[in-house]
Amino acid sequence: MAQVVFSTWGGITVDNRNVSGEPKAVSYRLPVAFDGERPLRAFMGWDGIILFSNDVDVPAMTAEYMKRVQTLYCCGKCTPGKKGTKVLMDLFQNVLDGTAAEADLDAVEDLAELLKNCKCTLCQSATIPVFDAVKHYRDDFIAYLTNNGHPRVQPASYIHKITAPCMDKCPSHIDIPKYIEAIKNYQFDLSLETIRENMPLAAVCGRVCPHPCETACRRKNVDEAVSIMLLKRTASDYERTHNVKPPMVPKVRKSKSIGIVGAGPAGLAAAYYLALEGYPCTIYETLPEGYGGGMVAVGIPAYRMPRPILQRDIDIIQSVGVEIVYNCRVGSDITLPELKKKHDAVFIAPGAHSSKPMGVDGEDNGYKGFLSGGIYFLRDAYLGKPTGMGKKVVVVGGGNTAIDCVRVALREGAEMSCLVYRRSRNEMPADVWEVDGADEEGVKFEFQVLPTKIIANEQNEITGVECVRMALGEPDASGRRRPEPMPGSEFVIECDTVIPAIGQDMDLSFIPHDMGIDITKWNTVVTKYLPLKDSAGKDLKDGMGNPLSRTLMTDCDGVFAGGDAEIGPLTVVACVGNAHRAANVIQRYLEEGKTYLSDQDIFDDLLSYLGVYDKNESVSWLDSAARAHQVEIHGKERAAKGNYNEVELGFSDSKAQKEADRCLRCYRMAMVAL
Amino acid sequence: MVSLTIDGKVIQVPKGTTILTAAAELGIKIPTLCWLKKVSTTGACRVCVVKVEGVERLMTACNTPVKDGITVITTSPEIESVRKKTLELMLVNHPLDCPVCDAAGECNLQDTCYELKVDKNSYNAGLERLPIRYDWKLLESDPNRCILCEKCVKVCREVVGREAIETVDRGECAIIDTINREPLDCDFCGNCVGVCPTGTLISKPFKFKGRPWTFDVRESICAFCSSGCQIGYHVKDNRVERVTSSDDGFNKGNLCINGRFGYSAFNSSERLKSPLIKNGSGSLNKAAWDQALEVAAAGFKKIVAESGGSAIAGIASPRVTNEENYLFQKFMRGAIGSNSIDSEARLGYLPAQEIQWKMLGYSGGTFSMDMIEKATAIIVIGSDLKAESPGFAYRVIQAVTKNDAKLLLAGSRATSMDKFSNASLRCRPGSESWLVAGLNKALLASDNGKTAQVTGFDALKSSLDALSFETIFTQTGITETSFTDAAALICTGGKTAVIYGAEIIRSVDAQNAVAGTIDLALLTGATSESGAGIYPLDEKNNTQGMLDMGCCPEYLPGYRIFEHAAAAFSSAWNTNIPTAAGKNLFQIIEGIEKGEIRSLYVMGSDPLNFIPNRSRVLKALQKLELLVVQDLFLTDTAKLAHVVLPAATGAEKSGSFTSVDNRVQCFAAAVKPVAEARTDADILSRLYSMVSKNGASVIESTEALQHEITTLSGLYSESCNHTGCKMGRVKNRTETSVSLPLTPIVPATTSRRFALTVGATQHHNGSMTTWSENNMTVDGEAYIAISNEDAAVINVVSGDIIAITSDSGSISIKAKLSGTLQAGAIFIPAHFTDSSTTALMTSPSFPVYVSIEKA
Repeated sequence: MAQVVFSTWGGITVDNRNVSGEPKAVSYRLPVAFDGERPLRAFMGWDGIILFSNDVDVPAMTAEYMKRVQTLYCCGKCTPGKKGTKVLMDLFQNVLDGTAAEADLDAVEDLAELLKNCKCTLCQSATIPVFDAVKHYRDDFIAYLTNNGHPRVQPASYIHKITAPCMDKCPSHIDIPKYIEAIKNYQFDLSLETIRENMPLAAVCGRVCPHPCETACRRKNVDEAVSIMLLKRTASDYERTHNVKPPMVPKVRKSKSIGIVGAGPAGLAAAYYLALEGYPCTIYETLPEGYGGGMVAVGIPAYRMPRPILQRDIDIIQSVGVEIVYNCRVGSDITLPELKKKHDAVFIAPGAHSSKPMGVDGEDNGYKGFLSGGIYFLRDAYLGKPTGMGKKVVVVGGGNTAIDCVRVALREGAEMSCLVYRRSRNEMPADVWEVDGADEEGVKFEFQVLPTKIIANEQNEITGVECVRMALGEPDASGRRRPEPMPGSEFVIECDTVIPAIGQDMDLSFIPHDMGIDITKWNTVVTKYLPLKDSAGKDLKDGMGNPLSRTLMTDCDGVFAGGDAEIGPLTVVACVGNAHRAANVIQRYLEEGKTYLSDQDIFDDLLSYLGVYDKNESVSWLDSAARAHQVEIHGKERAAKGNYNEVELGFSDSKAQKEADRCLRCYRMAMVAL
Repeated sequence: MVSLTIDGKVIQVPKGTTILTAAAELGIKIPTLCWLKKVSTTGACRVCVVKVEGVERLMTACNTPVKDGITVITTSPEIESVRKKTLELMLVNHPLDCPVCDAAGECNLQDTCYELKVDKNSYNAGLERLPIRYDWKLLESDPNRCILCEKCVKVCREVVGREAIETVDRGECAIIDTINREPLDCDFCGNCVGVCPTGTLISKPFKFKGRPWTFDVRESICAFCSSGCQIGYHVKDNRVERVTSSDDGFNKGNLCINGRFGYSAFNSSERLKSPLIKNGSGSLNKAAWDQALEVAAAGFKKIVAESGGSAIAGIASPRVTNEENYLFQKFMRGAIGSNSIDSEARLGYLPAQEIQWKMLGYSGGTFSMDMIEKATAIIVIGSDLKAESPGFAYRVIQAVTKNDAKLLLAGSRATSMDKFSNASLRCRPGSESWLVAGLNKALLASDNGKTAQVTGFDALKSSLDALSFETIFTQTGITETSFTDAAALICTGGKTAVIYGAEIIRSVDAQNAVAGTIDLALLTGATSESGAGIYPLDEKNNTQGMLDMGCCPEYLPGYRIFEHAAAAFSSAWNTNIPTAAGKNLFQIIEGIEKGEIRSLYVMGSDPLNFIPNRSRVLKALQKLELLVVQDLFLTDTAKLAHVVLPAATGAEKSGSFTSVDNRVQCFAAAVKPVAEARTDADILSRLYSMVSKNGASVIESTEALQHEITTLSGLYSESCNHTGCKMGRVKNRTETSVSLPLTPIVPATTSRRFALTVGATQHHNGSMTTWSENNMTVDGEAYIAISNEDAAVINVVSGDIIAITSDSGSISIKAKLSGTLQAGAIFIPAHFTDSSTTALMTSPSFPVYVSIEKA
């Protein structure tokens, strides 16, 4: 077990430097070795310092930390930050050079106090570990001044990472403070350029992203989160509404090509980043032309994601050198081995386009009016095909797909659209605003209700669904109290259509068994990962239970996988982040013949595991600027038959500019010593 | 309203107000170095920190909005200490070159350190000196003096819309520089210099011209474009050495290159310093004033005696004051007895304003131009705004960025405003009337256009019904969809503004183009009380005032017609003025050719370089028995004169200018006329008494003259309606709303396939600034802009000479490749008289069809 020698992390001092007995046991959400190999000797960041090794040269590390903050990240746009970090940087250099005086060290505390007045968090937070270092390792600093050197320590190599709570939480790691600052400065073009560095589907993720970033917005600790997602939409809409040609220019065309399965968010994102590097990319898409976008297209209704706006993002991706072959199902129109032969690398991103069964009596009887899955229903509606829907629709499920189904049912002309969910409204996995939206449109809700049987007449037409009311029992493994049927509470909801929308699944049947590509028991593709372990020797996992740091190459050389099929059904933003990494690894594979993660990739994973946002942090700020709200179309008419017009209208530019001004720009730098 | 307490005083302010502004309202001054009212907040200097009770950290007053019920403390030992320490940090490595720093004496950093008694520095760091940018034109940047307040960056981006400079690099090396770190290439408006709180960004021409406190600052009105900006001339030893503008004024301190740097034309060594008389051998020799005036007066009198007043014509000036233009026409009508008075406004502005008058009841802008900032939709047609009238460009930028106004740009050329536009209708040169018709048609087809209640609406509608989008597409190259999309943008039901410029006013089918533009204003409600107005543009400062003063053959001052008003003028002037309309510009040339006109009096104007058909005009001018020219410089026309009278600049005289948006602004003289030069008013009143039959003196005093203008014109009131100005304009509008039907003309076909437009560019104003060393440093020679495609076809690269031939003549000029001109369109800046573009023109309208080849 790796021992913590010293730590001030989180404001709690742990000092095991000179203990005679049992050292104080403490652990942090960090791996014992940075990349599974190189031991982590120290960690330095916004919340203090952590030393895992006794031989770290703390003054040298402190000087290096301050030098990197000042010369690489300090924006210079406020006096204390610009000048204060310069004074500190030079002071520590003077210590290392032996030219400083002991009294100079007293300025560190004074500056740490003064830098609380910085404009943003970067330089301010940088004073925290530096101050801790001087305070607790003062003798080491003084030793430099007296011994003319510091012999008893091992030199270290340092790796740093700039982050922010929102940026860390965003699976695509978009530089959120930068794009928001650009909007504050009326630089909508720079804002979009910044977004595109990590997110090519800006119009999409400006509209339908569940925005995990906003759950990690430090402004929340003052009042409410900054409307990060809508600001992304603003940047993207600005380019579109000003008829600006996107400025990206791909690098010189290279000869090695990449074949990609699926034109969903992951396939498109990987293709975009590889195409910008000059690699010809061909995406093979099952759906016909005009329906690119994967689940964003056929799974998200047009009133949330207008087709022309989605198509514009796709067109832009194509314009940098991506070819999309529509109506081409990999597995039947072309096989995966053929694809592998044709291209120098293959990226599998087929998504999760299958629906999970409900397990309800009558489900398999082939009743007219029983639609086999919510996502099929959404897809048929989107493609303008007959959906098989009648007039009275019951949708079973509590996620966003279920909500999309009840709202689309109204727009497809349903007289009654009812959602049946076995838990309470508060427990729905669907986003709150989506549930509220459905409510406003007149959707009926039956909460804490479990369908037990589908009832049909002699013509095999559905006439209703039998349900039973649920009561809460004991908490289950997830900590939620398990709903249990209440005997005798059975009742029937009259309907002619039942749509199960309880979960998505992957169809990986196109992957031949003999290719050596492993599939997990959750039906996701297995990819290679770093052996990161915590101090207790446990493997580090991400939020989906996957290994934390994955290179995204399958066990078949040259075949990579990403998106829902690799992660498990998740979000557009997660798929894009995952595919962006895959693109980087594919590039390394094509150029160096090696698949590896860069130090920055690994650091991203480490920070997500550690967590950058602290919901308990007390953020001192005057809460005098409330979160802005976008204009929305209200009233039932918005869900009238055939009305797929966009419901949410975004911000005006000036409102966006004001909202952007609420951002606290919570940058901070982490550094490890290896 | 939000209520809060600052330093124990309670105040109520609107929601969203910052603590800084709220405190200012209470008379509490919080020190700040980066706050600038006209741009978004920055929060860079951190000097304005204050304590808000209940909030642990100090908050910056400049960018923290107030909250109901808060208690703010603006001074305390803690706050003072933080402010002082912050300033100490700011001074770490700040150069101590105050003795030679341009900002010394007007440096905010000096003042703030002094105020806060920062007399020591507890901090130090290794000294790093950054290179000074000596290689920029007009501006110099010493990043070592920079406190990174970002005012310059913000003004450049948010006010000027240029984004030429940015904060680049990191940490201590973070400086203001061009984004690619190449030499500055921008509007050169110098607004960044204007807002710089230190000596970082300075004006090169002003460097070492004197310490700021040794100058007198004389308030005045800019004498270049028609925006009418309020300026301050910095004067020492009777020379203007700098021009600044106060942020508290109408134009919020924002100027353009001409306003800020064009003054060097006034100081040009080429200024006429004494009168000149042509001697027997045809050369111009220096003469005494009495002698020159005597030659001119005697000549005029002789011709009047022999052929009557109608044998003398006059050309007035859009550059001189209202009072001087009034005196000019009074001299021509009252002393000479001729109504043949005209000006360069004949080429476009005057005919356009006659149409506007007929349709709306007034000429010029509906409101003062600041109304544009409140617009929610703006249509700019046929104008390169920054070239013609930058003040309008700045207003449009405010509207689109701060008020979310939708911007529609329509015209044949791309302009620097394109990046702000939501729709851009790019027509073929010469199809402007079709463009406007198409837009009207699309507007009527949309739901919102039909509500307009205007006289003549049915005729307009049926005229548009008669046009098909197919025909319009054939002429303009713009599709129905583009028109419809554009119409949808401006049909938002809000406040619309319409701005039209030279491409409309001097279009081949100006009648339909102008009428159609005004129709658009009527249909969108722009001219109504709830609209944001219509604004015609003109490149020069007092074109509107010159016309108001009756400097045209068909109207007396105030657009009064001879039939109604001649008697009143005759009686007031104690003379008999002619009662029939005089000759216009073209008729004057014809009259000279026919021998009906024997003498021409030209004031502040260079007709050889603006009347089409240069060789014909040259011959006519050479034929004159007496050509009297009064000007600042020896223009091409002046070179032909028998008598040349040196006149005074806008800085050297008092009076008033009327901008195109009908603001009448008075100003006093900042300096005395250079050398022997005299104001046009002085010259005119001397000549009046010498030539007038009754020998009367023309003015008793400025007040008397202004009273006379008020009484006789009925247009200008005597009372002032804004600061620093004695005159305010009576808006005696009839508020008619008459739409005119549109019947655009199909242009005649020509074998010459290049469409030439001659017009304004943004680094000059008229030909006046070609006498300004400052402007010439930035843009110093004539050129022809040609699209990359066309250049490839005729095999030229930038710098090659192109021969341009039209039906009336040919010229040769240096090529400059343009990435924005459409193929088949070429452009020559109007400013450089040595390009002699009038040689190519047979009419005042554009485009002129020409052939081009590599010379």
